[in-house]
Amino acid sequence: MTATLQRRQQTASPPRRRLPISNFAAKTTMALTGLIFVGFVFVHMYGNLHIYRGQEEFDHYAHWLRELLMPLVPYEGVLWILRAVLVTSLVLHVGGGLLLWTRARRARGPFRRSGLTRGEAWMARSMLGTGIVILLFVVFHVLDLTLGAQPAATDTFEAGSAYANLVASFQRPLVSGFYILTMLVLTVHVAHGTWTAANDLGATGRRLRQVAAWVAGLVAIAVCVGNVTIPLVVLLGVIQ
Amino acid sequence: MKLTLKVWRQESGAEDGHFEEYPLEGVGPEFSLLEALDKLNDDLVARGEDPVAFDSDCREGICGACGVTVDGRPHGPQEKTPSCRQHLRSFEDGATVQLEPFRSGAFPVVKDLAVDRSALDRVIEAGGFVSTSVGTAPDADAIPVTHESAEWALDLAACIGCGACVAACPNGSAQLFAGSKTMHLATLPSSQKERSRRAKGITRAAEEEFGPCSVYGECAEVCPAGIPITAIAGLNREKLRQVLRNKDD
Repeated sequence: MTATLQRRQQTASPPRRRLPISNFAAKTTMALTGLIFVGFVFVHMYGNLHIYRGQEEFDHYAHWLRELLMPLVPYEGVLWILRAVLVTSLVLHVGGGLLLWTRARRARGPFRRSGLTRGEAWMARSMLGTGIVILLFVVFHVLDLTLGAQPAATDTFEAGSAYANLVASFQRPLVSGFYILTMLVLTVHVAHGTWTAANDLGATGRRLRQVAAWVAGLVAIAVCVGNVTIPLVVLLGVIQ
Repeated sequence: MKLTLKVWRQESGAEDGHFEEYPLEGVGPEFSLLEALDKLNDDLVARGEDPVAFDSDCREGICGACGVTVDGRPHGPQEKTPSCRQHLRSFEDGATVQLEPFRSGAFPVVKDLAVDRSALDRVIEAGGFVSTSVGTAPDADAIPVTHESAEWALDLAACIGCGACVAACPNGSAQLFAGSKTMHLATLPSSQKERSRRAKGITRAAEEEFGPCSVYGECAEVCPAGIPITAIAGLNREKLRQVLRNKDD
């Protein structure tokens, strides 16, 4: 026998609200700002590798960043433009992320999806948590190696001595540990974030999607491997 | 074979629900999941109890009316298969099978396993149709369409509108559904004149009642019609195109 249900009570359709900021706008903003960050962490990692060329070369590289495009722009001009872009992107990215996370929770309702086993789903679920770890790290990292503010920085911090500051900082095992942990977390965030950005920006072609998936994975792994070697060689005493 | 069905019972959307366990005997591995529920309802009615309400219609996997969550997975353990084509052979003899409604904020429970999926209809009303008069069927090859495009449009048009993608999504997003409905029309030449208007309408309607997509990919995993995850990027592409173009077509 089939149970036939008389739908006498129609369930009321939920209130349809026009969103002040559409999900599409928030997602596109997150995708674009996220890709800016992906580009930044990749270039930053490449810059970090100058550490292997010695103290003089590394300090020279740090100084060169401040003199970029001089005299067209003033001293540290390019650096401050990049900082402004990064801070603006950060505010938009975090704001968009929190907005969408709140909306997603509301849309799912009281019965949460459980039993996610696939790697991709696990990565997607980790985005808020990995994002928070990365944000905390960025605050620490700026206090430690850019501003030299105690107690994040070592007591030997000296502005302009990038090499010495870095080595002194990583000689603290806890700081190196936090750095390595953040890089592992960043790998997940960058890999899933890049792949999501490709989807958000409408990558439908088969070849384009394959390229996006490969780029997402390879960039994430390259950033992680390139950066993680540095605290390791400092801890092992190869770089002093 | 014997099974224990752990079924979500809920009198109406206004009341709280709970799981209730029912032993089920006299079923075999060839029974479909819905036939097992029919058998359970026979037993319940014979005992003077209220039968379990659930949706079904064609029972051959093409109408999209059925849909229950089986052990946490929308539709059930068998891939690319709606609830009506899931069979008891997927379960061990003596197993306990948990049946609950499709879970999503946009799908309020009507009774027991039946949910109100009219939010999906409102997405279709917002643009999932062709309103241009295209006259009678044109001569073959009057409007050239590559075989590849035609196949792709058909793949996307395979969506049966069951809502499993929404139930599988941790975000309660209908992006796969909305994407397939947008893309299969955007792929073909006959309705290009309203391409942007469609993308705008469907995106807005989907955002009003469903959540945002985070590319979990769970939707494509449970989709009985095998809609590829590319459909979610397709909706974004069409919406982006509409924003940049700012015209109807």
